Amino acid sequence: MSDVNVLVLTGYGLNCDHETAHAFQLAGAVSTRVHINALIAGEVKLDGFHILTFGGGFSWGDDHGAGVVQAVRMKTHLGKAIEAFIQSGKLVIGICNGFQTLVNMGLLPGFDNDYRSRRVALIHNDCGNFRDDWVALKVNEKSPCVFTQGLDAMEYPIRHGEGKFYAEADVIKRLTDQNQIALRYALKDGSTANGKFPENPNGSVDDIAGICDATGRVFGLMPHPEAYSHPVNHPAWTRQKEAAIRTGIIPDNPETPGIRLFRNGVDYIRNNIL
Amino acid sequence: MQKRLEIRLKPHLNDAEGHGLRKKAEAYFGLAIETVRTIQIVTLDADLSDTQFNTIKNDLFTNPVTQESSFDPLDTPFDWCIWVGFRPGVRDNAGSTAVEAIEDILGLKFKEGEAVYTSKRYCITGPNLTEKDMKALASELLANDIIQQYSVFSKESWDKNNGVGLRVSKVKLDHTPTVSTITVESDELLRTISNERNLALRSQDIPVIRNYFLRDEVKKDRAAMGLSDPTDVELEYISQSRSDHCNHNTFQGIFRYTDLTTGETEVENNLFKTYIKEPTLYLKDKKDWVVSVLWDNAGIGRFDENNNYVITGETHNSPSNMEAYGGAITGIVGVYRDPLGTGLGAKLVMGSYGFCVADREYSGDYQPNLHPRRLLDGVIEGVKDGGNKSGIPTPFGQIYFEKGYLGKSLVFVTALGIMPATVNGNPSHEKRTTKGDLIIMCGGRVGKDGIHGVTASSEVFSENTPAGHVQIGDPYTQKKMHDFILDARDEGIIVFITDNGGGGLSSSIGESAEISNGCHVELEKVPLKYNGLDQWEIWISESQERMTVVIQPENLDRFMELSKKHAVESSVIGTYTDTGKLHITYHGKTCAYVNMDLLSEGFPQWEFDAEWQAPERRGLFEPVTNEPKDYNTLILDLLNRPNICSKEWVTRQYDHEVQGGSVIKPLMGKERDVASDASVVRPVLSSERGLAFSQALLPTYSAIDAYHMTTCTIDEAVRRLIAVGADPDQIGGVDNFCWPDIQFHPEKNPDGKFKAAQLVRSCRALKDMCMAYEIPLLSGKDSMYVDGHLKGRYGETLKVSALETMQFSASAVVTDVKHCVSLDAKMEGDLVYIVGETADQLGGSEYYEHIGKIGLNVPQVNAAHFMPRYRAMARAIETGLVASVHGVYRGGLAVHLPMVAIAGCFGMTIRLADVLWEGDTAKRRDDRILFSETPGRFIVTVAPKNKMLFEKLFSAMGAKHVGEVTRENDPLAIIGSQGEEKVRLSVSSMKHAYKKRFGDEI
Repeated sequence: MSDVNVLVLTGYGLNCDHETAHAFQLAGAVSTRVHINALIAGEVKLDGFHILTFGGGFSWGDDHGAGVVQAVRMKTHLGKAIEAFIQSGKLVIGICNGFQTLVNMGLLPGFDNDYRSRRVALIHNDCGNFRDDWVALKVNEKSPCVFTQGLDAMEYPIRHGEGKFYAEADVIKRLTDQNQIALRYALKDGSTANGKFPENPNGSVDDIAGICDATGRVFGLMPHPEAYSHPVNHPAWTRQKEAAIRTGIIPDNPETPGIRLFRNGVDYIRNNIL
Repeated sequence: MQKRLEIRLKPHLNDAEGHGLRKKAEAYFGLAIETVRTIQIVTLDADLSDTQFNTIKNDLFTNPVTQESSFDPLDTPFDWCIWVGFRPGVRDNAGSTAVEAIEDILGLKFKEGEAVYTSKRYCITGPNLTEKDMKALASELLANDIIQQYSVFSKESWDKNNGVGLRVSKVKLDHTPTVSTITVESDELLRTISNERNLALRSQDIPVIRNYFLRDEVKKDRAAMGLSDPTDVELEYISQSRSDHCNHNTFQGIFRYTDLTTGETEVENNLFKTYIKEPTLYLKDKKDWVVSVLWDNAGIGRFDENNNYVITGETHNSPSNMEAYGGAITGIVGVYRDPLGTGLGAKLVMGSYGFCVADREYSGDYQPNLHPRRLLDGVIEGVKDGGNKSGIPTPFGQIYFEKGYLGKSLVFVTALGIMPATVNGNPSHEKRTTKGDLIIMCGGRVGKDGIHGVTASSEVFSENTPAGHVQIGDPYTQKKMHDFILDARDEGIIVFITDNGGGGLSSSIGESAEISNGCHVELEKVPLKYNGLDQWEIWISESQERMTVVIQPENLDRFMELSKKHAVESSVIGTYTDTGKLHITYHGKTCAYVNMDLLSEGFPQWEFDAEWQAPERRGLFEPVTNEPKDYNTLILDLLNRPNICSKEWVTRQYDHEVQGGSVIKPLMGKERDVASDASVVRPVLSSERGLAFSQALLPTYSAIDAYHMTTCTIDEAVRRLIAVGADPDQIGGVDNFCWPDIQFHPEKNPDGKFKAAQLVRSCRALKDMCMAYEIPLLSGKDSMYVDGHLKGRYGETLKVSALETMQFSASAVVTDVKHCVSLDAKMEGDLVYIVGETADQLGGSEYYEHIGKIGLNVPQVNAAHFMPRYRAMARAIETGLVASVHGVYRGGLAVHLPMVAIAGCFGMTIRLADVLWEGDTAKRRDDRILFSETPGRFIVTVAPKNKMLFEKLFSAMGAKHVGEVTRENDPLAIIGSQGEEKVRLSVSSMKHAYKKRFGDEI
């Protein structure tokens, strides 16, 4: 079986690269952390990879809007290469700061095959501060998003100050109509949060937590699936463990919903590219 | 050309920052503000074309979806507008990243002197707002005079064309760098000059310094280099090295300790050596997991066979009291450089915080520099930005309110790192400098930062004076450097590394040159933020985000290549030698030439008189009380007290999950809202091992006896670790002493002898506990002079000293994280045990504090008794016998039984008649059982089927079945010793009491 090669960007204040690379490894890929400058300088070629990952962090300190400066640098030096990467059927995922970067590059929402226009934004949380909490998420099963296939509802942590998804009404309508809204913040019962805080932690329009392009191959989300790579990451794991002991049903190191999301991407490459 | 770009959110979008300001203005000042809209200002001072300016505006600084911008002032309506910007020379992180981004997008390099400055203006509306209101808002909430400037504009005074003006905050120093010499003609003259120049040379040291420079062979050596009298560079070097900060003179001092009860006097020759170094070295020999202690920037313990972990703790008190945000962010980012500079460099894996401040609602007459609320807001934000932007999780922290911190607040920051046990086959904890090695400065540039900080603050500001003495940490620059250094380390290039913190290059190079026995530094090669710094300033500047890295010359090209890839500035500034001389030149001319062993010249030890007066003889006694009748209200009131209640507001601002290794989070339980005993992370993602971490602070007990304050603090930190499942045989400690001035002076410090005795007692307790629990001290620091002189309403000042405080941090390996437990009750029908006896120990308790008393019976640790119990608890957790474990800490059972219940959202029934009591049974009373803070205790829930095994494991160790977990959301019912119900509280009422105080804070 050929390797699925994943490139995880590093440098300039990005900080989730180690665990994101680890999560992809657990999902069956071969992942490599690559400095943004190594990619720009051509020391590492994008061509050799199947999945390009913009991970979490504070690129350039997020001083001028989260992900803005990273987007400018990537677009200036690698814009065309990344568009070609997408056109060749490969996958791009942006998590948190990576999602912010994708929308500022215009890779999302990618209407009409236009991967350059900024149409949506991630702005300061309505709660007025950075927030770390776990959220419940509901998957839009009609979405073409490659990464959320087969997933229905899950919990991931969010950790951001600028995660409020915003776009004009016509853009939201189009995203909705085209099922590009892949992930929404939800209540415990699985229904969407409907703006309720803290279930919708940032005031995102329409509870949007993640969107994809029309092909489903470019995906951005604010929550951090890579931070749920081990069962003990879940905030209620000690309770889950005790419940399992009492019922006598102890899961044999199950794959976490975090890893399942990455595995979807890896499987897609196996099934469609390799 | 200078241009000012204004950027705002489109008017229909929620301005979260403006909204937050409006809310704070109302809560803090009672101002009825209708709206606040924020405008970001970017002032560009660079020679660019109009096309280039427009590219920057449109492609970089304006989000077409959400923002609007203009080079003319935006027309956002207001009644009042407040502009806030930095003073010249203050680190403007956003300005620096703007330069990087502009250079990238335009494909050019800024010329010398060109820069970008960022500032903000707030457009405020409200019908009854006055200029006075706005000035209060500006000066007390938005801007700190030390680092920022502000202007207030009324609607009428606003100039539509010019707006706030250009606001170029440029440093201009019209100064030619000069080395001056200082006469050593007489002690008196040197002392006078030392005072004039803020050299802070101690009187007792002056004759030693003079003797050195007057010695014939020294004179001859110096003459050969063109030197005679000492230069300012040399004296600054000596001053830095001899400072209490660098040399720990207090802990190495002589203490004459007299117990006034017995009249006996003992002489302590060196507290550090006797109570910290000796036990730690003894334990290092005994415990094979201890890798490196007592010499490097941080201590090192073994994590697993392939990895070691690194830990250290610091305080950053004085700077945080001047500028809370800047002080705290500099503190946390600074302590993160310690593990990075330990061994050959460690990757940072977690941090923690401890804030000690006075009452947030303080409204008394004595005015600190910053009100406690403002100070706390600032330090919270500083640690938030410093930690989050570094990509390092902050899964533990504590906040302690006590009136003594009005004089000076405390900011503790702790850092843990991990590194491979070997690098290129060599042990990673060993490093050395050798003749010929290159000295490289990496990271930030040097400015007038942190030079003679305290005295500089009283100088008069001019428009272009750099306000350098207060710094703002730059986690972004440091994160790049962190990643770079780890890359270089893994390639085996680094032979020595240390950070530049207190004392700057003077300390980092001075100390590392002791290994090779000499160095030659060329100061002109040090990159500067701006010209005009004197040589001595370059040498001792504490500009942040810098490491001193040492490599062999043949690796220079590869090192610089990696440096470039990571966009980090690195400069070779000298070489190590074996000449026995610290040799500093500036463009070839010698400005310092001193013997490396100058500092071992026999400087006199500091001396202190210490007098211990026992608490009874100080007039302390137990308050005379009856048992309360309304326990329900009392318990709810305790849960709501500032030191007990939820700090979720702070916890959630801190990323505690980045790096993906979170196991036990700072908030646990069914609704993720109750503070956990300790944190556990997995620093190596491919391993099932964990690292447990906890801290404790119990300064209130010092009001009775700092000996017991210390033992109880250490016991609490250890018990917290045990409660989550840490290995009791691998616990390491970090001591952080924060003490008021202990040097007796009849007028200035009349109780100095008592405070000195408290320090001696605390050190003795530290050793007693470390030996009893077998805890090597992996690291530790002391910060003295926790006092402040506060202005009163009549123009008088009052000295306010903090209680003697020691924060203790404990870390330990968890063999398999799957065995970790959390505090929350988990199943209906589980049995509730209290492990450990309760005694009449309410002295200094939360309950006594609540009723305005101190008391006498301070809690006492029976270490020999507790440790077997802790081992049994570790065994119980490892074998899965327990469903939940929670230590009993401040507030006693009255606070911590509710914690177990509300964390699990279960009711519990507890029978006080079954609680084990230790000591005089005549003293046994239900209120004492509930409010006593006797250490060594846990509350444990156990599945009924594990009853036998659990009780067998704890036989004769004081585990007592005292109740049951009842149904979900049932009340907590506590049955008194006579069988009557004394407490009946619903989970929701307790939770409300625990969470409401800070529930609405942003």
